[in-house]
Amino acid sequence: MRITDRVFGVLLLILAVTYGYEATKFPIPFGGQESVGPETFPILLSIILAIGSIYMIVKPDEDAKWPAVSMLIELGIVCLVLVLFAFGLEYVGFVLSATPAVAFLCWRMGATPGKSLLTGAITSVVIYVLFTRVLELALPSGILGL
Amino acid sequence: MGTIELLMQGFAVALSPESIMFALIGAILGTLIGALPGLGPANGVAILIPLAFSLGLSPTSSLILLTSVYAGAMYGGRISSILLNIPGDEPAMMTCLDGYPMAVKGKAAEALATSAIASFIGSFIATIGLVILAPILAKFALKFGPAEYFALFALAFATLGGITGKNQFKTLIAAALGLMIATVGIDISSGVQRYTYDSLHLFEGIDFLIAIVGLFAISELFFFLEQHAGDGLKQVALNKLKLTAKDILFVLPASLRGALLGFVSGVLPGAGASLGSFVSYTLEKKVSDTGEFGKGDPRGVAAPEAGNNGAASGALVPMLTLGVPGSGTTAVLLAMLISLNVNPGPMLFQQSPDLVWGVIAALFVGNLVLLLLNIPMVGVFVKLLSIPPKYLMPIVTLIASVGIFSITGSAIDLYFMVGFGIMGYVLRKVEIPLVPVILGMLLGPEMEKNLRHALVLSDGDWTVLWSSGLSIGLWVVALAGLILPMVFGKILRTKMKRSKDGLTD
Repeated sequence: MRITDRVFGVLLLILAVTYGYEATKFPIPFGGQESVGPETFPILLSIILAIGSIYMIVKPDEDAKWPAVSMLIELGIVCLVLVLFAFGLEYVGFVLSATPAVAFLCWRMGATPGKSLLTGAITSVVIYVLFTRVLELALPSGILGL
Repeated sequence: MGTIELLMQGFAVALSPESIMFALIGAILGTLIGALPGLGPANGVAILIPLAFSLGLSPTSSLILLTSVYAGAMYGGRISSILLNIPGDEPAMMTCLDGYPMAVKGKAAEALATSAIASFIGSFIATIGLVILAPILAKFALKFGPAEYFALFALAFATLGGITGKNQFKTLIAAALGLMIATVGIDISSGVQRYTYDSLHLFEGIDFLIAIVGLFAISELFFFLEQHAGDGLKQVALNKLKLTAKDILFVLPASLRGALLGFVSGVLPGAGASLGSFVSYTLEKKVSDTGEFGKGDPRGVAAPEAGNNGAASGALVPMLTLGVPGSGTTAVLLAMLISLNVNPGPMLFQQSPDLVWGVIAALFVGNLVLLLLNIPMVGVFVKLLSIPPKYLMPIVTLIASVGIFSITGSAIDLYFMVGFGIMGYVLRKVEIPLVPVILGMLLGPEMEKNLRHALVLSDGDWTVLWSSGLSIGLWVVALAGLILPMVFGKILRTKMKRSKDGLTD
């Protein structure tokens, strides 16, 4: 089966067509139409991408090994944790959002829960102190108000 | 002013106490980054750029810091090749062939010291080559007009996959994707919004630093999670170093040959460090094999290491003079220059000679620091290798996020970083290379600008792109770069693979 490349080839082809179509819809720049405008280069790119994706559909490579669904869900959760960390930065501060994020990542990579939590707490505090006090970079202190 | 005087001035910059301090810090950080599993040189430099940027270092200091990191990462990479039999990046593959057998025989310390010396010779000779060749090429490049530049950028993409590249169309797709990302934002010359969808955050375009960290570092985290590689690997123990002057003399010819070959393949578009170390190793094997190659011959360590480092410095020639990087790590170095508001190209040698020559002098100083640092301190670096990735990768991810956050202080950049991480993971699964994506983002604005200049001057006539002899030559090389790998790439790759497999049998 060489399905992966075909699927992605189709997706990329859709992207190429949409991207190129959007480029033709750009408003005419102030000062009138010229022989080369903001749309010239994007249209060229959409043609190149289209050629590449058609090749992928016609002559696909061997399939890559995709992980099991459970692993994909886990990776999805990891992404969510990273997004939550970014979201939490502004509300609860650096230390409180980084500690659970690092701990979760350590735990999912195979460390014991206790050690994960310890690693998370220590690194967050050390990096916070290092960056705000020594390197003078502002990281949000949040509700801890250190 | 002659080259020598300029270089001397460069040394005056590079030998100031402040510069030496940054070179030292950079060398240590770089070696660590190169040695740590899961972090290549490109990755490491990428994570450090936003940090150096937001710390408000002067351009010269950050350049010295990051070039030392670059040189250090090349040194560090061989530690995992020799002790774990795992190359940190593709060019380090040939070092495994004789380095790991040496380590198994209880000569790990000697193998590491040999490769440190060979790396030094490789970088040293190639930096001399850089000093000689770069000004000549820069002068020549002043003849380039917009059409020639457009052809040159096309050449950079076409040859980026290298002669060992697998699927040229996937390189093409990757380059197109990168260039497409670069078009997001307000168009500089007409003021038209492109692909911003009225989101204020997209008006200035997408910062390539976010893309680099996301594509490389975050996707690497996903791969570690998927492969359950959190526990790290067993490494060969380190013995006490017994290296005599005779041993060094023994590997000297191999190192010199490797350095020259490496430099040449670093300068040539599309050859790169992989080919440099491969050619150096095979030639050395032809010249001096007595049946010991592949079983732990020190010359088999020295040749590819010298070649690898020679190519790394050689790759700086097209990067500094033309603004066209030849490899992943030099692409990241280009990112560093652009984010410091330094535009590489022929003008750089005229406009800011102090900066260019300061960096070149810093390369000399950095390499010497590395050699002096590496032989006594290799034990410390080896200790750090044994930190299991399950603690290391999350910490690296956190530091990378802090760097990205500190660019603008907005969480939106971090969402983008995660997005690029997912994109990097998927692209790597589909075997679309990531480096052309980065290069596309970096070169996109310049490439478009040159295309428009050329077309405006010719009043919309596209044939202007291939109307001068120089531009035709560039297009021919670009086409050859696309087509040759389809013919020879497979043969070369099986050869490289065979010599690697022959070892495990």
